[in-house]
Amino acid sequence: MSMARKMLKDGDVPMADGEQYDYDLFVIGAGSGGVRGSRTAASFGAKVAICELPFHPISSEWLGGHGGTCVIRGCVPKKILVYGASFRGEFDDSKNFGWEINGDINFNWKTLLENKTNEIVRLNGVYKRILSNAGVTMIEGAGSLIDAHTVEVTQENGSRQRYTAKHILIATGSRAKRINIPGKELAITSDEALSLEELPKRAVILGGGYIAVEFASIWRGMGAEVDLFYRKDLPLRGFDDEMRTVVASNLEGRGIRLHPATSLSELSKTADGIKVVTDKGEELIADVVLFATGRTPNSQKLNLESVGVDVDEIGAIKVDDYSCTSVPNIWAVGDVTNRINLTPVALMEATCFAKSVFGGQPTKPDHRDVPCAVFSIPPLSVVGLSEQEAVAEAKSDVLVFTSSFNPMKNSISKRQEKTIMKLIVDSETDKVLGASMCGPDAPEIIQGIAIALKCGATKATFDSTVGIHPSAAEEFVTMRTLTRRVSPASKPKM
Amino acid sequence: MAAQATLPFSCSSTFQTLSRTLSRRGPLRLRRGFLRLPSPAALPRFSRAPRPCCRHISASADASNGASAEGEYDFDLFTIGAGSGGVRASRFASTLHGARVAICEMPFATVASDELGGLGGTCVLRGCVPKKLLVYGSKYSHEFEESHGFGWTYETDPKHDWSTLIANKNTELQRLVGIYKNIINNAGVTLIEGRGKIVDPHTVSVDGKLYTAKNILIAVGGRPSMPNVAGIEHAIDSDAALDLPSKPEKIAIVGGGYIALEFAGIFNGLKSEVHVFIRQKKVLRGFDEEVRDFLAEQMSLRGITFHTEQTPQAITKSNDGLLSLKTSKETIGGFSHVMFATGRKPNTKNLGLEEVGVKMDKNGAIVVDEYSRTSVDSIWAVGDVTNRINLTPVALMEGGAFVKTVFGNEPTKPDYRAVPSAVFSQPPTGQVGLTEEQAIEEYGDVDVFVANFRPLKATLSGLPDRVLMKIIVCATTDKVLGVHMCGDDAPEIIQGIAIAVKAGLRKQDFDATIGIHPTSAEEFVTMRNATRKIRKNAAAQVESKDEAVTKQ
Repeated sequence: MSMARKMLKDGDVPMADGEQYDYDLFVIGAGSGGVRGSRTAASFGAKVAICELPFHPISSEWLGGHGGTCVIRGCVPKKILVYGASFRGEFDDSKNFGWEINGDINFNWKTLLENKTNEIVRLNGVYKRILSNAGVTMIEGAGSLIDAHTVEVTQENGSRQRYTAKHILIATGSRAKRINIPGKELAITSDEALSLEELPKRAVILGGGYIAVEFASIWRGMGAEVDLFYRKDLPLRGFDDEMRTVVASNLEGRGIRLHPATSLSELSKTADGIKVVTDKGEELIADVVLFATGRTPNSQKLNLESVGVDVDEIGAIKVDDYSCTSVPNIWAVGDVTNRINLTPVALMEATCFAKSVFGGQPTKPDHRDVPCAVFSIPPLSVVGLSEQEAVAEAKSDVLVFTSSFNPMKNSISKRQEKTIMKLIVDSETDKVLGASMCGPDAPEIIQGIAIALKCGATKATFDSTVGIHPSAAEEFVTMRTLTRRVSPASKPKM
Repeated sequence: MAAQATLPFSCSSTFQTLSRTLSRRGPLRLRRGFLRLPSPAALPRFSRAPRPCCRHISASADASNGASAEGEYDFDLFTIGAGSGGVRASRFASTLHGARVAICEMPFATVASDELGGLGGTCVLRGCVPKKLLVYGSKYSHEFEESHGFGWTYETDPKHDWSTLIANKNTELQRLVGIYKNIINNAGVTLIEGRGKIVDPHTVSVDGKLYTAKNILIAVGGRPSMPNVAGIEHAIDSDAALDLPSKPEKIAIVGGGYIALEFAGIFNGLKSEVHVFIRQKKVLRGFDEEVRDFLAEQMSLRGITFHTEQTPQAITKSNDGLLSLKTSKETIGGFSHVMFATGRKPNTKNLGLEEVGVKMDKNGAIVVDEYSRTSVDSIWAVGDVTNRINLTPVALMEGGAFVKTVFGNEPTKPDYRAVPSAVFSQPPTGQVGLTEEQAIEEYGDVDVFVANFRPLKATLSGLPDRVLMKIIVCATTDKVLGVHMCGDDAPEIIQGIAIAVKAGLRKQDFDATIGIHPTSAEEFVTMRNATRKIRKNAAAQVESKDEAVTKQ
């Protein structure tokens, strides 16, 4: 067994019963949560190893890579494609600002793909360097549990190696899942969508979540015809209804065809492309069909059951407030636990885990007021409660402040797209319970608002803050007039 | 009402709220107005479902506040100048407190003079709004460049037509002037066109016609000022620069303040050759030193030439019509335009101030107390004419506080702590609170967190764009004293941060906030290790580096 000794600080820690483990901590999965967990544990002096699959943009049983979903198949490549796709709207908008582009504007998908891949390979290297600088032993292969203190790492060629550890952290993330309809193998998931050889001319997307909406914006921006199918009346279930309506109308405004309350029932191959049949009997032909129908925790191949680690009905590992599983020395963070599946949340969970287990400071991750963003074009970003959640939870009246306006840039470009902002306030305490925005720069704007919200800022504090003029964000500190007051379990009072 | 149907843009602290106040729901603060009504029992009903702001309230306003008895004066308030501060104060006094208000403003022109101005004032006509529109227009060249790394190519290089931009900008300004007019009318404020001059503490003359008022508010703003150097008549100021008949081929911009840098960015983006001449070693005096260095470097990388520590001495025009600028160090010729952005002066000339006894400082700014009252009891002043913090939102705050004090029976001082601001340079800056230098001076022991990184977009575009972010923390209390950023979206990002700083939040509150990934702004909540720990006792000083993961 090869053990890198250079990083050992004070040798192996003898256990109470005289037994010695190879490591203080063995981490399965080097994504956001795993890397943060190992690095932080190492900083507290723990001897740490981490295993991860070999790098590949598209994940499988044998392929993954340092950085995980976020860096290789999620946030980062997605955002790069959103940047790429946003330029088309900019070209349109630039005309009324005096710009003339004579002749063709061409988009070369291969250039973008290549530059994106280079960036991801670079980040993959950065992650490896971070781990090695932190003194964490990196092991390549698929990890699974043998017992509460033993992990077996299997290589694709079948060779196996066992390692013992006092603590085990599972941070294997999740994977896109497909729905079961005839022809499902013709569809792709977001993994493949981020690395397609050819840009589709006609794209069909199934799903109403953020991934579906983001790819709709990406492909549309790159010039494809996009049809978006989802089961509900509006996309983005769980978000504020008013915001969902705005997102839907913006997607439509940018030329995406929406098919609410519609699902797909069959896919088949034809000479012209993939024939898509909807549950309403409509037919259309597509070059690419994307299933953005949810993700499933990567917990199947870990041998959890035999070691006694409990999972829920969808396969997510059950954990307590400190991320401890049903086995006291086995822990889990990130998407595999299906709490709030966001990179910064996995980072928080992992940091709290390391503090609790190796830092001597038991720390619970705080899942309240976690801000998030949907990188549709234009984007949506929210923190805290939606109006519907606030009304459902409220004891006193909920005050709703909304502002819908034409952003300044549109006054010249003549783009017909409103920005909308919303604050939800508790009438009793004046506390701001939720903030949301749909419009350019929303994710950048909401981040600061999230700090204020997290610390229980009141509407009066918002109002006392001076605006930055002229910005879109200043609207959040100048919403003086109540839009509506909603009593718990009642209809809005105008 | 036009203002309600089509809200013009996001500089909505003015328009947005204006149109809402006029909306059928009515303003929340109506309650205060009703407190002095004879029948307070009516309050709960009104507070639940506020009624439209009714002019009849004015009849009930008693003389103990800013309102006057019928017949005593023509108006309760006469405002001179319909810019940000004047319109805000007039509108609030009328709609929230039922005051009888008149406002005077000079006829519209893009370039201000002693006789010309226009509804909306500097912000709408010669400042924030047109400037930002030109910034938007000029930013595209950078976006075209960025787009190459994302796979976009053009058969021919994008070309810019200056006249299209200026024509569309002016159409927009005309529209805004119209909206302002509606707002004033709908607020029940009497609008008088002409130049106002104070005759006595209760009388204003507008082009010879006299109006009396219990209170007079001076909100006449400021105007660009140029030094007296030889050939200054060849130079343009920012008013003219916003409305040039043609794009400068090569421009000299004298000045290192925010106006100079914003115009440098605009003309550079539109592919003019830009030279900036500054007296100091660095741009943006008064800003955080690190930001000053960083911004100058980023602007240089985009093609702007800085000439530092040079004092302008003369402008000469040669036979070919081109201009030369002679400075204390060199003479550079071939300029199609020379622009001076060397400060602004309060518009206090020929207002009758000296005669009435309104005191001014040596710069001509009206001296006011904490409630914006001048040395004459019935005369008040807000905005740039008082030269406190010369920003639209500050003028709005001062106007709002003035109305509360005078008409709301609620003496209110504008609060100048943690006023955020932005420079719409390219890249822009945003800042709130103290600079590192101010913090050290005031608090001694200070922790400084710095992130200087290449944003995700630049890793693909291959351009040398970087982002600088700074948090300055009091080492003893953990309170965040100042936050600074230079880079894309800085003004939008800093606004939310400003709420946190205003609330007096600590660094640990920033750290407890979850990031939004992937954004630039998330860096503000993930700076875990202080870059510098500055201590009065130098031995305790520590330097460290935060690890940048995805942002290299």
